[in-house]
Amino acid sequence: MKISYNHLKTLIDFNHDPQKLGEILTGTGLEVEAIEKVDAVKGGLDGLVIGEVMACGKHPDADKLSVTKIDIGSGELLDIVCGAPNVAQGQKVIVATVGTTLYPSTGDSFVIKKSKIRGAVSEGMLCAEDEIGLGASHAGIMVLDTNLPIGTPIAKYFNLEPDYLIEIGLTPNRADAASHLGVARDIKAAGDQNIKTPDISKFALGISASSISLTVEDLEACPRFCGLEIKGIEVKESPDWLKRFLNTIGVNAINNIVDISNYVCHYLGQPMHMFDADEIRGSKIIVKCPSEGTEIVTLDGLSRKLNGTDLAICDAEGPISIAGVFGGQNSGVKPETKNVFLEVAYFNPVSIRKTSSRFSLKTDASFRYERGTDPNMPLFAIKFAALMVQELAGGEICDTLIDNYPQPIANFGFDVKIKNINRLLGKELGETLIIDILEKLDIKVLSNIEGILKVSVPPYRVDVTREADVIEEILRIYGFDNIELSENLSSDFISDFPAKDLDNLQFKLSDSLAAMGFHEIQNLSIVKPADNAWLNEGESVVKLLNPLSEELSEMRQSLLFSGLSSVLYNVNRRNKDLKFFEIGRTYNKSEVEGITKIKENKVLSLLMTGNVSAESWMQKSTAINYHHLFQVVSQVLNLMKIKKMDTNETSNAMFAYGLEHIVRNKSLVKFGLVSNELLAKADIKQPVFYAEFDWDLLCKIYSGENKFTEIPKYPEVKRDLSLVLNKDVKFEQIKKVAYNIERKLLKSVNVFDVYQGDKLPADQKSYSVSFILQDEEKTLNDQQIDKTMTRLMVAFEAEVGAVIRK
Amino acid sequence: MLSKYYICGLMYIVVIEKIERVIKEAESFLQDNKLNSEDFRLKYLSRKGILNELFDDFKKINNEQKKIVGQNLNKLKNKLEDIHQELSISGKTTSIEKSSGAIPDLTLPEIPNQLGGLHPLTIVKRKILEIFARMGFNAEDGPEIESDWYNFSALNFAENHPAREMQDTFFVEKNAITKDDLLLRTHTSNVQIRLMEYKKPPIRSIMAGRVYRNEAISARAHCQFHQVEGLYVDKNVSFKDLKDTLLHFAKEMFGKDTKIRLRPSYFPFTEPSAEIDVSCFICHGKGCNICKHSGWVEIAGSGMVDPNVLENCNINSEEYTGFAFGMGIERITMLKYGINDLRLFFENDVRFLKQFNGIH
Repeated sequence: MKISYNHLKTLIDFNHDPQKLGEILTGTGLEVEAIEKVDAVKGGLDGLVIGEVMACGKHPDADKLSVTKIDIGSGELLDIVCGAPNVAQGQKVIVATVGTTLYPSTGDSFVIKKSKIRGAVSEGMLCAEDEIGLGASHAGIMVLDTNLPIGTPIAKYFNLEPDYLIEIGLTPNRADAASHLGVARDIKAAGDQNIKTPDISKFALGISASSISLTVEDLEACPRFCGLEIKGIEVKESPDWLKRFLNTIGVNAINNIVDISNYVCHYLGQPMHMFDADEIRGSKIIVKCPSEGTEIVTLDGLSRKLNGTDLAICDAEGPISIAGVFGGQNSGVKPETKNVFLEVAYFNPVSIRKTSSRFSLKTDASFRYERGTDPNMPLFAIKFAALMVQELAGGEICDTLIDNYPQPIANFGFDVKIKNINRLLGKELGETLIIDILEKLDIKVLSNIEGILKVSVPPYRVDVTREADVIEEILRIYGFDNIELSENLSSDFISDFPAKDLDNLQFKLSDSLAAMGFHEIQNLSIVKPADNAWLNEGESVVKLLNPLSEELSEMRQSLLFSGLSSVLYNVNRRNKDLKFFEIGRTYNKSEVEGITKIKENKVLSLLMTGNVSAESWMQKSTAINYHHLFQVVSQVLNLMKIKKMDTNETSNAMFAYGLEHIVRNKSLVKFGLVSNELLAKADIKQPVFYAEFDWDLLCKIYSGENKFTEIPKYPEVKRDLSLVLNKDVKFEQIKKVAYNIERKLLKSVNVFDVYQGDKLPADQKSYSVSFILQDEEKTLNDQQIDKTMTRLMVAFEAEVGAVIRK
Repeated sequence: MLSKYYICGLMYIVVIEKIERVIKEAESFLQDNKLNSEDFRLKYLSRKGILNELFDDFKKINNEQKKIVGQNLNKLKNKLEDIHQELSISGKTTSIEKSSGAIPDLTLPEIPNQLGGLHPLTIVKRKILEIFARMGFNAEDGPEIESDWYNFSALNFAENHPAREMQDTFFVEKNAITKDDLLLRTHTSNVQIRLMEYKKPPIRSIMAGRVYRNEAISARAHCQFHQVEGLYVDKNVSFKDLKDTLLHFAKEMFGKDTKIRLRPSYFPFTEPSAEIDVSCFICHGKGCNICKHSGWVEIAGSGMVDPNVLENCNINSEEYTGFAFGMGIERITMLKYGINDLRLFFENDVRFLKQFNGIH
């Protein structure tokens, strides 16, 4: 909302400069977002002062030039060469001093410099009207008739002092402050000056009869309607002061009648509308909701259909404006309009809001009406406006002032407990101070019995209807910063903290991944439909009804696709060796008995691509492969102390190949090489390895508990076997067989060499496997070891068809 | 080839000589920087390597001579394994050191080991949670896809109130009858309501999470961002408590000389409501671009929980009061690191991410 600093001063006296005023208003809750100087003319006539011609003579070398001595009150006379024919001694003239930038009416601006003109020194310029942008005349220098002392800025002489635009970010609750008057009321509450109410005592009804009659059919939507006809007006340009005011607050000046409406709206916060009285058919005004489908052509030339609950101002034949929102085209004031009908009303905010949002029409009027205007303002405002019309457009006020207000809206009344004020503030303010603040806010204290205040709040304070609201009012005027701060923080209560702190778990795991060279990424939860479509989860996709774009219209079901986008983004920027992790949610919906249920799952994803590490003089860079990812997946599981799980090859189409660990019949993590199809779709030309953990499940299984076990007293022994196997046999099978055969002594199984090649048939491979055996109760002897190894060998031969190489 | 010595029973001498030769040759391997541990293994330790060859010879030696040869062979085996290990572990450095005999170039670049790092938003979120944890606020969490009730109505956003326009909302499902639309939460305040519903006062919690607004993506606005919100409800919680808590936070977050300033504002769920400014931690009040030369930067919104909100959660507003505050993690992160474009957070450019590596 835009406020003119100068016009604020017509409503209340204050001495604050714009900056200080801005601070005060921000302090009362009217946040000043910007203060801008607005010059009445370009350049603001800066550097131009009144000077007196003390001497004037002919230029020795040029007939048409004069040399003058000018006094501008600086103590020294200036030598100025002047070309105007009318310059003479004793004149008061406009002097542009050296350094001044002039903005002429036509042409470019220029700077006045000290110079020599045909050999004579000139320290400035005497100005004509067009040279300073005030008009078109170049008949000679302007000669001023003034008693103002020499040296006075010209802006002051012309009454063209700059104004300041004060831009306020009005919060939706402060409808009362949506005008110069409203802002002035806050200045009053924060200080000790009173409002200078505009004088409307000169208002008087005329003798000319008005034929226009009023019927309000919908009193709920239009509790108050004031109307007045003025005859014989002249539509013309507004005076300069009004045009300047509108310019300051960013409103286009149109003509005197339209400008007055805008002035009243911004000055008093009361929207109004002026009709061409001769266009009101049947001389009847009817306020009602026309039936559904009724059309109206609004001021913008568009035809709009009313829906049966939109309030309209109608004449005998149909709607002539959408009430409180937008005027009709036909009934508007035109250059040839002679008679006008003024409408100033109070409309129900909800009704206006519904209509304005349905039509997406945000006007200065609807902005105020939908937030709630002052129901006690229309009568004052219509008289104020009528006086302005008379002054600026002439005409005669008719004999009838309509004021349809059958059920006046009363002040809000309720109780406020002083103890609750002090409790909420955390500070004792004292009754006198509280009552003083309330009175400054025009909130009447009707009684004060044992600390319970009965208050009466004027209806323009639509946001003050409860005790809590009054406490806010008191605090904002008292000043938020006047509640003292303590050095030490104290609290009556400290929250319990969970034994298993999942946030912390996430942070710690993230740190570990970072230490392993992974960068955390964050992608958008909102994705393109193609991603989810690929997963083919059908009905479970959560779609947005009003997406920003087709590309961002569904909630993700996997972190893979956006992860691949992050890979591509970096590969395209020549960063090809990447290790990423992301912890984020996926979203799925289901329907249970007609009710939509949303499931949000947390997922941990890992992405690896490119080389293991950068080039080095010491080692060749190796390309990341599946086993590098496997290592990290296992690290994560080790960090989370998860040991027991089943492992299968994953059939998920995301992967060209990969494994899946299953816990409690649920997939804990799947990982592998991203399928060629997906990589091609993502436009990535290097292999990418991906893992996706069910983070919620991971957290569920994680216990965080750790128990010390005795360090084994007896040594472990290592035995190796070389197994020739069919190519299809997996290490996982060998492991299973081994642990099935020897649960007690076998501590771990490892592969330390893999051979496939010329020395073996094509369908065979050789694994060199080591076994760690240990007995916790005694030292193992050779016999026991050999016995165990023999059992293992037999089992390998029988169950996985191994040939043992000795 | 060895048959004539075999016949003479002198086989063992030949083998011992050979062992000594092999030891010398193997040792020279350490000096030769062209060969690596794998070459060494193939030559000496593999199945067809020299060691196995010698063991084959060993089998042919007379029993009484086996003891002495066996000792030598074991010595050789240990020696070869040691050399192999040394070659494997130290690779080329060793050879460079040994070959020159002088101190090698210690300033050759270190072996690269790329550090990873946390996302800057995580770093800042974590710091905020840590500070509030010390003040006794536990962390809580809630859904991102939420019903109108938890996101708006229970928070005192009346239907048809202009306040709803303050937050452009993504809808998932409109429900014409119940009006309880399904939407993407526009703030983390939904967790406040859920918390107050299932847990009665006293409550002292902090909630962080992802929120959404239907706003076109630009340097200054995004459809997705993160908030942290705090709530304290108990008997006699006052505006002064709110100010003290936020001051304490500001000092820990931005430095101990930080000051705070509160300005009246409006949020439907708090009354009174305040915007919180901290003294500019970049210029310390002297005026800079970050604080737009005002000396203050806005970091959070706050206020006393509106009695309607408490009543909506069946908490007696005569008995209990509370304060709440909320802040944008992106905003604080941008201020803290001088980041000027919101989009950087979700582009995941490693050149951006790398800058936040290390311990925080």
